[in-house]
Amino acid sequence: MSAATVSSSPKITEKMARESPAEQAQVLVKSRICNPNFIFSIFSNPPDSNYSKLKYIISSSLTEACNNSVLLLGPRGCGKVAILELVLEDLLEEYPDMISVIKLNGLLHCDHNCALKEISRQLCQEHQLLFSKMASFDDNAQFMVSMLRECGLAHKTIIFVLDEFDLFAQGKQLFLYSLLDAMQSVTSQAVVIGISCRLDADQLLEKRVRSRFSHRKLLFLPPSREDTERLLEHILLLPTNSSFPHEYVTAFNVKLLIFADYKFKEIVDTLSYSDSTVNHLQRFLFSTVSHMDLKSGLLSLENFKAALSTIQRQPKLEVLKDCSILELYILVCMKRLEAKEQELRNFNAIMKEYKSIHDTFQTSNYYARNVCLRAFEHLLQRELISFEDNRGHGQSAEFRPVKLLISRPELYQGLKSYPSCPVSSF
Amino acid sequence: MADTPKTKKSKNLNRTPEQKQKQPTSPPDHLIVPSTPNSSLRRSIRLTATATPPPPSSLQKSPHSTAKPPRNYQNAPKSPSFTISISPTSPEPTESKKRRKNTENQDMDLEKKRILRSAKANAIKSKKRMYYKKVVFDGVEFSAGDDVYVKRREDASSDEEDPEVEECRVCFKPSGRRIMIECDDCLNGFHLKCLRPPLKDVPEGDWICNFCTARKSGAMVKFPEPPNGKRLRTAREKLLSSDLWAAHIESLWKEADGTYWFRARWYIIPEETSSGRQPHNLRRELYQTNDFADVEMESIIRHCYVMNPKEFAKAGNEGDDVFLCEYEYDIRWRSFKRIAEIDNNDEDGEEADGDEDWNSCEGSDPDTEDNIEYEEENKRSTLTGPSSAHPMAANSRKGRIFGLQKIGAKKIPEHVRCHKQTALEKAKATLLLATLPKSLPCRDKEMDEITAFIKGAICDDQCLGRCLYIHGVPGTGKTMSFLSVMRNLRSEVDAGSIQPYCFVEINGLKLASPENIYTVIYEALSGHRVGWKKALYSLNERFSNETKCRKEEIRPCILLIDELDLLVTRNQSVLYNILDWPNKPNSKLIVIGIANTMDLPEKLLPRISSRMGIQRLCFGPYNYLQLQEIILSRLRGIDAFEKQAIEFASRKVAAVSGDARRALEICRRAAELADYRCKRLPSLSNSAATGKVLVGMADVEVAIKEMFQAPHIQVIRSSSKLSKIFLAAMVHELYKTGMGETTFEKLAMTVSCFCTSNGETFPGYDILLKVGCKLGECRILLCEPAAKHKLQKLQLNFPSDDVIFALKDSEELPWLAKYL
Repeated sequence: MSAATVSSSPKITEKMARESPAEQAQVLVKSRICNPNFIFSIFSNPPDSNYSKLKYIISSSLTEACNNSVLLLGPRGCGKVAILELVLEDLLEEYPDMISVIKLNGLLHCDHNCALKEISRQLCQEHQLLFSKMASFDDNAQFMVSMLRECGLAHKTIIFVLDEFDLFAQGKQLFLYSLLDAMQSVTSQAVVIGISCRLDADQLLEKRVRSRFSHRKLLFLPPSREDTERLLEHILLLPTNSSFPHEYVTAFNVKLLIFADYKFKEIVDTLSYSDSTVNHLQRFLFSTVSHMDLKSGLLSLENFKAALSTIQRQPKLEVLKDCSILELYILVCMKRLEAKEQELRNFNAIMKEYKSIHDTFQTSNYYARNVCLRAFEHLLQRELISFEDNRGHGQSAEFRPVKLLISRPELYQGLKSYPSCPVSSF
Repeated sequence: MADTPKTKKSKNLNRTPEQKQKQPTSPPDHLIVPSTPNSSLRRSIRLTATATPPPPSSLQKSPHSTAKPPRNYQNAPKSPSFTISISPTSPEPTESKKRRKNTENQDMDLEKKRILRSAKANAIKSKKRMYYKKVVFDGVEFSAGDDVYVKRREDASSDEEDPEVEECRVCFKPSGRRIMIECDDCLNGFHLKCLRPPLKDVPEGDWICNFCTARKSGAMVKFPEPPNGKRLRTAREKLLSSDLWAAHIESLWKEADGTYWFRARWYIIPEETSSGRQPHNLRRELYQTNDFADVEMESIIRHCYVMNPKEFAKAGNEGDDVFLCEYEYDIRWRSFKRIAEIDNNDEDGEEADGDEDWNSCEGSDPDTEDNIEYEEENKRSTLTGPSSAHPMAANSRKGRIFGLQKIGAKKIPEHVRCHKQTALEKAKATLLLATLPKSLPCRDKEMDEITAFIKGAICDDQCLGRCLYIHGVPGTGKTMSFLSVMRNLRSEVDAGSIQPYCFVEINGLKLASPENIYTVIYEALSGHRVGWKKALYSLNERFSNETKCRKEEIRPCILLIDELDLLVTRNQSVLYNILDWPNKPNSKLIVIGIANTMDLPEKLLPRISSRMGIQRLCFGPYNYLQLQEIILSRLRGIDAFEKQAIEFASRKVAAVSGDARRALEICRRAAELADYRCKRLPSLSNSAATGKVLVGMADVEVAIKEMFQAPHIQVIRSSSKLSKIFLAAMVHELYKTGMGETTFEKLAMTVSCFCTSNGETFPGYDILLKVGCKLGECRILLCEPAAKHKLQKLQLNFPSDDVIFALKDSEELPWLAKYL
């Protein structure tokens, strides 16, 4: 583990580490957090981990010269791509120049023409061949097939990584069909790895494509409670045998014994209450480390608390807080109109309601119509309200029906947290 | 798309006799079973045989006699089909025989069996070069495709007598009647009796002589000195110590001055490659290079036999001059590549490899010879010098030849050749979808029907309106059965029982657009690539206009269209055109459409369905017995599966779809799981070493689960607390209102109710919205974009029972159960 930490850190010279250990420690931990290879390396050991399963699947199809296809499924932020990268890195080291990796992304290459062109481009680049942009779909498909054959003959495996796999499964799926069908020959040696966060990705495939797909699936799940704790230690504890002063390292690590503290556990609980993925944890830790007090150079409970509050923000409530009194008036009017179940809710109706409120409560702030219209437009821009439909772009905003996008409790909470607001009118 | 292989295939059909003229059988010197390549048992035996030298020069004939010499038959005991063999280009081969006296006063006797070129080209070019398929030089017949030893230097002692017979390394007597054994390391031969201790039988497996074992253990060994001082080396030894060359004859011709030349494709010994001899190289291994040279026939010594591993394993009586060649070595890029076996039916790899060259220079009906030579020249230049003049893009049509040569392994990975497969790995390999099974069980009836249909169609003179529609769910062996029928028919064509035909295979899913099919068909039939409109025009002309071409020139054409439903366009004109051609008189077109749906013809316009829907063939889904038989037939001889496991898998698949691909994949996955289990877990490694790991029910169960079950339950179980509450609230809403769809506003109310009454903190609307969107991303929920906020519509994507099952006994949130 220590070797990995040292290699993953940016060049921290001994001198720098001695002069400003706190800053360098911050840099080290931040670089660890930003390096998915480091984070996921703790999941690579046990035999039932996704890492070793995936590695086995790919390496066995490498050594046994066969074709395979795998789907990596799981919610976003669980390390599908990161673990695949780890595996590929290892395999590239283990079997140098026997692997060429072709990476496609469904967001970019879901069109079959463009996907095949990209494959040809990457194959050409990998093998230092000349690539022509003008080649047709046919040419590219044929090129891919003959490359698969030639590479198979040369004991080379082509690994196709299809990120956002579900997006490839749109339309006629010509691309997937031609790729999977090209793999149905003995000479070719290829692995197709689809990555998707949709759990039903394999159900999206057309029946002919599905029949050719090998239906291996690896499921990636958010880490369990114990894994999260291990991960925290793995990321935050400083290595003892590094260039940092020894006293500093011990002080830093002793301070992190708050891991066992129930208050700290509460923080972690709140964090994973809504989202327990690694990605979320990463962002939380980055913000914690950024809050670190550089004078003491140690991470304290307050840092974690501050980070938690920054990561759990409520954008709508904050937008409400920023609204002017007039804008709040308009929102309240909208709400009242909704409560009255009035059919047509547009600016004119709101103005009428605003006037009636003003008349009943006799408030001091009554604004002219054009001022109100400006406030109304602000609200539209902040997406607190929106037009009912997309029709009638030519119509002026005053006459188009609008709807309120925030719910009553949200509005109430917003008004309550507003210091000088006449809540009673609501 | 995949039309190059197709054209190749159809060309192979035409040049049927090619395979038969391989392996000119010279009288066997002595019977040797050479060391086989890896994986199988090796057995090195030298059996006795009377070593007869090649036919003596009594065959010399008076020059200039034009009669066909009778000894031709005894010298080259070819199958009679040889004489009627047809070269790919010339439909009517002109036979002419010529004798010439060699300039070097040596009686030489040549015979031209056939001329490759067409008669016209021959007439023009006869002054310059004459190409032959076969040449009898110095009494020995050489034909294109043979392998020969070639002298390395001009000054080499060519006069020196080459021993044809190998001697025992101890007593220096030729084998005689006694059995000799070959050491697998130094390749020396020993009489069984001369060994110490003497052997009675030839041992199984590798055998290494005492000298080699002693040398390996570090001792200095001296082979016994030969009695007459100098020991004669065989040609094989000379070759392996790089004093000779071996070459493959690509083509033979006679120059204008009467000398005979051949185009040699050199072989190379492992020591001469850039990476040297690699540890896994066998002693008798050679590499084929892509280095060509024109060599005079003078320098040929005699035949040798270079074989691919399969033949090499079987080879018995070709003598000492047998070599193994599995890889091609690219001298320019210094890389290795396996030699492709394009066709399983083809006799050997090199021949098949040569096919490409033949096709590329002769496939497009060369009008003049210049054309060909130019092409050859072109190819040579790409081989030898950097052709910077015209850098070609690899993925465009023209440049492909150039680009693909670059690909190759710098070193042959060791694990490929030295790895001994376990039973599980063998099982995995045979269960691969790509491996072609040796037999196709359970489809005999359908295959008979197809065969009868095609035979009837071909033999019929008129063959009007022959269309066959094959349908069946995916993975029921439609395409495979059809292709195997075509293979069988091809062998019948070779035997001459049916007239030749051409076969075009098209896959609807691989066409860029439906109209492209015209281009592909036209290219397959004529070799020219044109736009689809022009192709349609020419095809229409070809199929409808019978007066233009002579009748006998048109062969029946079988057009296989896989995934036919992809060709349905808006006005269905493509299908109509294709299905209309067979109805034209003398079109000789037979269309076979394959698709999944049973009622495709009914969905089409009546004018199309009346043309297509008459003859149909249904491939029903396999039942479990058939699936079991398919799997068992693949696994024959491999002890890796429990019987019940296979039955379980086939029953399961038969119940779901009857898709054979699925069943094979499940078994392969199960084998993979078992393999993984025994490789990863050290406790099991002992039993793995004995090869006793069988794929059991549990593995199949896991594989089936992985294939058929959506993993949503696991995902729900491991999701965050809030998502669980969210889902519980969804289910609650569903039962309360009875409506599948709900809005975020209502749901948020329910969630906040849940939270307040059970002591959880309500996180706020924004976080809740985010949680909902994350669930939507995994498709556990179906939801609208988050911009709609409280009006966002939500719906469960999986049955509510699944969600309840997943959430019921959650440890973190025991109170959820009461809401479900």
